[in-house]
Amino acid sequence: MTIKDWIFVLAISGLGMMTANYIGFDVAFSQSFPGVLVLLLIALCAAGLSHVIPLKLPTVAYCSILGLLCACPLSPVSQFVIESAGKINFTAPLTMVGAFAGMSISNQLKMFFKQGRKLIIITILVMTGTFFGSLAVAQVVLQLTHAI
Amino acid sequence: MKTAERAYASLRERIRTEWVLYLLAFLFILVADTIGQIKIPVWKGTFIIFPIFYALFLGILTGPNVFKILDDKKVKAASGLVGVAILPFVAKLGINAGANISIVISAGPALLLQELGNLCTIFLAMPIALMLGLKREAIGATHSINRETNLALMQDMFGADSLEAQGSLSVYIVGGMVGTIYFGFMASMAAATGLFHPYALGMASGVGAGILMSSAVAALSEVMPAYADQIAAMASASETISGIDGIYMAIFLGIPLCNFLYRKLEPTLGRLTKSGRELAEKN
Repeated sequence: MTIKDWIFVLAISGLGMMTANYIGFDVAFSQSFPGVLVLLLIALCAAGLSHVIPLKLPTVAYCSILGLLCACPLSPVSQFVIESAGKINFTAPLTMVGAFAGMSISNQLKMFFKQGRKLIIITILVMTGTFFGSLAVAQVVLQLTHAI
Repeated sequence: MKTAERAYASLRERIRTEWVLYLLAFLFILVADTIGQIKIPVWKGTFIIFPIFYALFLGILTGPNVFKILDDKKVKAASGLVGVAILPFVAKLGINAGANISIVISAGPALLLQELGNLCTIFLAMPIALMLGLKREAIGATHSINRETNLALMQDMFGADSLEAQGSLSVYIVGGMVGTIYFGFMASMAAATGLFHPYALGMASGVGAGILMSSAVAALSEVMPAYADQIAAMASASETISGIDGIYMAIFLGIPLCNFLYRKLEPTLGRLTKSGRELAEKN
């Protein structure tokens, strides 16, 4: 993807976010705008970084680290970043992600129905085990280190 | 990410292919966010249906298997768009982590060690997969939560036609269809037990799959609103670590562990059922 592509697709997702934030949570476009801009800028920089840095890290890793750095107390703009992003409701960016994700697996529906009971059971077990495994370890270590 | 590989000759060409996808996405946002959240009480917890679920479901219907609005080329384009559209959300979670940096740091040891907890699933799912009569597919199916990178890894290590890769693909497909809803439900049920601290629940949500994590975090912040920011912060940190270490965990720990358990358990557990015995003899 070229930088033009990135800007365009991110702008689309920004519009989607503002639409969802307006319809779902009554936040006016003008109120969402600064936060959306912050989020899109971070995403764009993350895309740039993952392009430039030769490490094989996923773009999402750069993106969350950049978000963290912008909002941590050392950042001169942390106040603005936190406040403006706070206007974007948590689930507002997700509706569009869900729409694209649904479309992207829409050609697997037939295969899904062919999987049968066993694989559905196993998938549920794998998910449950992954979640509760890390949940149990997290709980125990948090207690042992007196973090909670 | 794989979004970087597929390039159009120009932005105009991209728009010509993808405009239907954008249009549908906005349409789904209108429908999904107008309906909004629906909460259904279940046992001590709540099953929350979020707009993302309706959008996902509507998206699935557009494809070549149902309404045929999208062809295979557009379906592929959509999967590239997921990778871009999720970035602003990931940035938002990162901001949450930055704003709560002191509690994230104080939880450092737990954040690192809970990554190993993700492997616990192998001890649960592998024996049951074998009892159900799966053979080498069980290794692919249970070595990890089987999202895109894991699927690619299995195809790379064992070959796309291998039983291992088939098992991985199956869990990938089923997970894509039911995972988003199930993950949020499971997280809110875990919260309802009252046994776990919100920080731990947040960390457990970060499993290296953006859409699963978002579903869990959305559900948790709805049932524990007082901790919403901290839950998001922990999820973001854990998700970031998983994104970085996930593939190495699979290569150096998950797959070897699966192979070991398979060798130890298959000769007994794999022959409990008739179909398991028959498959074992055939090989």
